[in-house]
Amino acid sequence: MAKHNLRTVVGFEVHRTLTKRRFWILTLLVPIALGVVIALVYASHSSTRNSITSQKNSKFSFVYTDTSGVVSDPLVRTFGGTRGSDVERSIADVRSGKIDAYFEYPAHPTKETIKIFGVDKGVFENGKYGSVATLIIELSAQQKIGSAALAALGQGNVKTVTKTYKNGKESGGWNGVIPLLLYLLLFYVVIILLGNQMLSSTLEEKENRVTEMILTTVNATTLIIGKITSLFIVGFVQMFVFVIPVIFGYIFFRSSLNWPSLDLSSLQFDPARMTIGALLLLGGFTLFTGTLVAIGAMMPTAKEAGVFFGAMMALIFVPFYIITLIVSDPHALIVQIFTYFPFSAPITAMMRNAFGSLSLWEAAIVVIELFGFGIVVLRLAVRLFRYGSIEYTKKLSIRTVLFRQK
Amino acid sequence: MAVLAKPVHWQRVLYVEDMTTTSEPLVRIDGFKMTFGRETIIDDLSFDIHAGETFGFLGSNGCGKTTTIRALLGIYRPTAGILHINGKPFRPEDGSSLGYLPEERGLYKKESVIEVMMYFGRLKGFSHQAARDWSMKFLERMSLADKAKVRIDKLSSGQQQKVQLGVTVMNSPELLILDEPTKGFDPVNRRLLMEIIEEQKNSGSTVLMVTHQMEEVERLCDRVIFLKGGRAEAYGSVDQVQDHFGGTTIRIKYSGTIPASTNYTITSQHNNYAELVLTDHADRSTILRELVASGLQVREFTTGKLSLDDIFIRIYGHRDDDDSVAVA
Repeated sequence: MAKHNLRTVVGFEVHRTLTKRRFWILTLLVPIALGVVIALVYASHSSTRNSITSQKNSKFSFVYTDTSGVVSDPLVRTFGGTRGSDVERSIADVRSGKIDAYFEYPAHPTKETIKIFGVDKGVFENGKYGSVATLIIELSAQQKIGSAALAALGQGNVKTVTKTYKNGKESGGWNGVIPLLLYLLLFYVVIILLGNQMLSSTLEEKENRVTEMILTTVNATTLIIGKITSLFIVGFVQMFVFVIPVIFGYIFFRSSLNWPSLDLSSLQFDPARMTIGALLLLGGFTLFTGTLVAIGAMMPTAKEAGVFFGAMMALIFVPFYIITLIVSDPHALIVQIFTYFPFSAPITAMMRNAFGSLSLWEAAIVVIELFGFGIVVLRLAVRLFRYGSIEYTKKLSIRTVLFRQK
Repeated sequence: MAVLAKPVHWQRVLYVEDMTTTSEPLVRIDGFKMTFGRETIIDDLSFDIHAGETFGFLGSNGCGKTTTIRALLGIYRPTAGILHINGKPFRPEDGSSLGYLPEERGLYKKESVIEVMMYFGRLKGFSHQAARDWSMKFLERMSLADKAKVRIDKLSSGQQQKVQLGVTVMNSPELLILDEPTKGFDPVNRRLLMEIIEEQKNSGSTVLMVTHQMEEVERLCDRVIFLKGGRAEAYGSVDQVQDHFGGTTIRIKYSGTIPASTNYTITSQHNNYAELVLTDHADRSTILRELVASGLQVREFTTGKLSLDDIFIRIYGHRDDDDSVAVA
């Protein structure tokens, strides 16, 4: 019967959420907004690239002077330019429209500014003067060096790969950190996406005065677990909807959007750390869910409960204020406090676990603490729901609930 | 007169019914005590409800009726005492045999009528199809079939009450608990509700009813309990309670002045009509002789029983300190 009721609660909660027009409007707003942004970025990239190409290819008459000696005159001629000798006269020619532009290359182009004078062709098209002037000196420099590769090295265009070793074994570096940071990301997504719904999930029974009928039909624990499960399912649907445009954009427009290529094969998964991360995630989720449900059961309206939601959100962001300490000095007092204080523990411990500074025994303490507090708070939440939700218009005192029934 | 196994507060319980049955009562409340902080809401309350009977749970506002029901249904945990349904404390898992219409009415307002009814039907053990069929049949009877897909909050309050009533009786419950069932019903719907309660009663349901409508109690209830200050003030069949609270009443039309007497109490007097309640051992003929002998011109003389309304007023007319405790 309990399983049947759990399925019924989950089915009812999921069905009624997913059949609401409002839910889909709000959920689809995110991928639509993402899609619009991706389309705009794509369009911008295309137009920018086309403009640059057309600018580079567009011929215009110009004169240059070069006191650095770097600029190659034959090269300039291929661009349609000619060497000048009189600065003032060249500027006057530009002013009169006799020539389109004049580039004045200084003696030390790396330290001084290249001055460009041009006929105004509109804000956007005026950019071609700068593009051509830069390209000329860039190519001229390459000619002087005699090798494009050396020129690239001179600009620091090099790639590096680092291998580090820990206890005689190769450590993952960022490739080992990234998978563990995904737990952190998942925790934030779940709490931010579902936190408000967790808070208000039990408020509905209270606000609709349906608590007594429901509590005599289904066990309070079954009801709450059913609601939390349904929230997960709804959250999964939302995440799926959010991720679709990102995947679509990555597969079809990655290069156009200048998105970096993901090399998943280089990521390293440390089984022990991954397990600790998963336990921290689950423990943290249990604690925060229980707390949010408990708050919802205590408050008479969603509006009043909302105040506490802000406080809960602040708690999960507070560890970011000491992120540099978490990375550089994990044994600092404040980091230790944040590691063991239940509501900052999930974030702090997950970060330390990702950066490899959370020892096994520390992890064990935090995991036990999170699950322990989580279960206690969940039980309290069920109790608060049972007694609090029939105090329809009153704010419930935890003290009253704890002591009245003994 | 046999008494309950564990009588309570003999000095206050004015009547305890003769219960000759030996079967386990469907509802058994024994030594129930409920305190909230320092306030004692219910103090050592005991009564039984037997299968198939309709029981009136009566009392003024705030005397602890709803608290008792919530404790019986496991929503509150009692401070002390036994509260059993079918020989054990109620658990939500047993909800399929219970129909409960609480005083605080409400349903999932943003959902459609059929969705809500089916949800409760499923929780009470119906299959998906059976819940739908039952709900549609009930809605047709209530002339609400066209509202099946309408959101609850789009219905009038009377229509919402009907839906909630449907949810309450949808599993043909063994025990039907109705807390102020006619609250918010117009006379037409009230009659419909009464019909449904009688149907449930006739089909074998046991009904526990909390109401302030004494005529409903007289019409429907087999036995009643009056609760006052957290204790049973009177408990028994309707007739027995009426008998106890004055038994026979005499209604007279008269001219002159009604004399004071130790044989009766004047309970009402208006426009040459008066109602007299006989004290113990007095009889009608003695009273009539006494009135006539006093020179009173008696034009009409009828006898009857004290109504539950009058008994209610007699019990709760003088509120004591206990009644000032505000409890849902």
